Amino acid sequence: MTSTLLKFFGPTPLSRRKALWGMALVAPNVLGLFFFFGVPVLMAFITSFREWNAIKPARYVGFDNFERLATDPKFEQALTNTFKLIGLTVPIEMVLALGIAVLLNQPLRGRNWLRMAYFLPVVTSTVAASVVWTSIFQPRYGILSDLLAPVGLGETKWLVDPGLVLIPVGVVAIWQRLGFDMVLFLAGLQAIPGELYEAALIDGANRWQRFRNVTLPMLSPTTFLVVVLAIINGFQIFDQVYVMTLRTVPGGVGGSATTLTYFLYRRAFTNSEFGYASAVALVLFLLVLGVTVVQLVMQRYWVYYESDEG
Amino acid sequence: MFKMKQTMLVIVLFLVASLLAVPVQAQEGSDPVITPVVCEEPGSLTMWVWDETWAAIIGASIDVWIAEYCPGAEVDLQVQPWGQYWDVLKTNAAGGDLPDVFNMSQDRFFFYADNDAILDLQPYWDMYGVDTTIWGSGLVGPYRWGEAGDLYAAPVNWDTIAMFYNKDMFDAAGLDYPTADWTWDDFAADAAALTDADNDVYGAAVYSEYQSGYPNWIAATGETPVVDAARTDCTLDNEDSIAALNFLKGLYDEGIMPGVSIMGGASADDSFNFWASERVAMVSGGSWKLPQAIDEVTFNWDVVQLPKHPETGRSRSIVHSVGYVASARTANPDLAANLILFLASDEGQMFFAEGGGVAPANPSPAIQQMWLDSFGDAGVNAQAFVDATADSQGVTVFDEVWDVMNTELVVQIFDLDIPVEDAVASVCEAINAELPE
Repeated sequence: MTSTLLKFFGPTPLSRRKALWGMALVAPNVLGLFFFFGVPVLMAFITSFREWNAIKPARYVGFDNFERLATDPKFEQALTNTFKLIGLTVPIEMVLALGIAVLLNQPLRGRNWLRMAYFLPVVTSTVAASVVWTSIFQPRYGILSDLLAPVGLGETKWLVDPGLVLIPVGVVAIWQRLGFDMVLFLAGLQAIPGELYEAALIDGANRWQRFRNVTLPMLSPTTFLVVVLAIINGFQIFDQVYVMTLRTVPGGVGGSATTLTYFLYRRAFTNSEFGYASAVALVLFLLVLGVTVVQLVMQRYWVYYESDEG
Repeated sequence: MFKMKQTMLVIVLFLVASLLAVPVQAQEGSDPVITPVVCEEPGSLTMWVWDETWAAIIGASIDVWIAEYCPGAEVDLQVQPWGQYWDVLKTNAAGGDLPDVFNMSQDRFFFYADNDAILDLQPYWDMYGVDTTIWGSGLVGPYRWGEAGDLYAAPVNWDTIAMFYNKDMFDAAGLDYPTADWTWDDFAADAAALTDADNDVYGAAVYSEYQSGYPNWIAATGETPVVDAARTDCTLDNEDSIAALNFLKGLYDEGIMPGVSIMGGASADDSFNFWASERVAMVSGGSWKLPQAIDEVTFNWDVVQLPKHPETGRSRSIVHSVGYVASARTANPDLAANLILFLASDEGQMFFAEGGGVAPANPSPAIQQMWLDSFGDAGVNAQAFVDATADSQGVTVFDEVWDVMNTELVVQIFDLDIPVEDAVASVCEAINAELPE
């Protein structure tokens, strides 16, 4: 028994000692992850099969919570809103981030300043940013209404109109995410060997052809990573909705801005339906997992890994 | 001669007594309504409040409690800011870790009482000989629970609603200041005259939020606003509710009242700030707004009772009272109840009365007068809020429907221009879904 355990840590005393040191060093992080992430996730899983209002003892109800989800129009609305937001934000976010990364990869004056400027929103508190954006979108006195007045869109009730409210939420989500995606793209761009561009130049490729046939394929592993992260992030949009609709109708008029995470929050903390909310969390988890697996399968049709060619 | 001397003595005694009257009025000027009791055994308690100002006032009274009535006791008084108070409270309830004593609101009490999380204080009221009917039913009714209507909370304060108006704007428009006998028609006429569309100045903003806004107008018709007292039916789609809402929407349609988007939000604070920045001449606001108005408002202003409904002749205010409650699982129930008794007593409530902000719930005339006197220098008709308690309406709504009726309805009618009948239909559908069958 002892010898098996010893072998697990390493074949020689020296390597065992090294392994122990390594484990000691990662232990705080792993334990933290286990207690503050692993345990709550497990509890949410168990709670999703229970009826629990946080005060009275929980009661096992089998799949009742999930059956209720299947027929709850408010859940369906939250699901639709979440997919709408992902559809709205992810493509725009990708194109903008790539464009900015390509521009800031050029030898521009002051590009370090520009890179920093684009990255600032990432490290800005979402709540603070959302508060500022809320005032920008204010229909009468907001900056946006002045800018849009010439095209007849002044005094648009962005945060109240059920048909429009996802737009400001999406804009803030994109704005906050752009810098992060840009940094990933920049790193990807800088890893592309210069000789490929030289070879393309010699072959007479113009600027667009070089971008289309060299940059895009070489960048595809990065693009894949960015898409996966952006979609996962899209599923988790919460703060923007919370803050930007707080002062008018929380969650939007008729739930028009309610995303899955916001729906979950309201069910848990307003209606005290922690079991039902946990079921939403579980569905959210399965959705993210499913979408990510599909992307992993699809990637072989469009992602180009140089090392595969040897 | 003897008679003269006796008269002189009486006069002198009276003068001496009147010198003492201001500071000690509550203790000696009249019999106290609630007298504190010395605690049996000191111990330690945790207590939560949601407001810094309250924490300072309550902290001062707790110091007196410890010094005079419970030497050796310790109270860990914590502020959980309003923005997170209810989430944190619920999370702690889930962990079985509620503070021993904490503040409760009438609309949330139902949930905690229904789940046996709050200590029944009735045995203590009986033991201490406190007659719980001394508090008005609007203050304590929502805190009664169970078959016998036991009182689970001690009311801290009362809040009523009145109209704050900008005197300078009334002067500029050549209008007389409103008086307590004004009607909805007088109000509408004044609001129209005070509107200055060219300069983006509105006449009135009176619809925002349950407590400060439209429900006061529904209540004036005689209808119980939003949900009936038995909590079984949404009343917004009843005839009188619709009529009251249509009266307000008429003012909005004519450009006399600003929309939600114009004011930047659907909360009563948004309306009040709009008034404080001289964008609207009249705003309905709570008594808790008096200190802020006195401190911050730069123009001349005053308050008057809400206008009377032209047919019922009633001006009705929504009244709310924050309560002190104890956790059902506190390790020191006797001590917690003793502290709550002190905080509700004349002696404990004096700190609120002197603070010149929150109106103390203790009905002692001396305490109430002390509160009115605390605004002495400001020249404000704070009496309007006291008068509003005479015909007032307690809170009938609860947590789950709060946003729907507080913001959804208001935004639909006063921003998205949805007809009142359609808006109340959709809101009532949502509210009825949350009501027990």
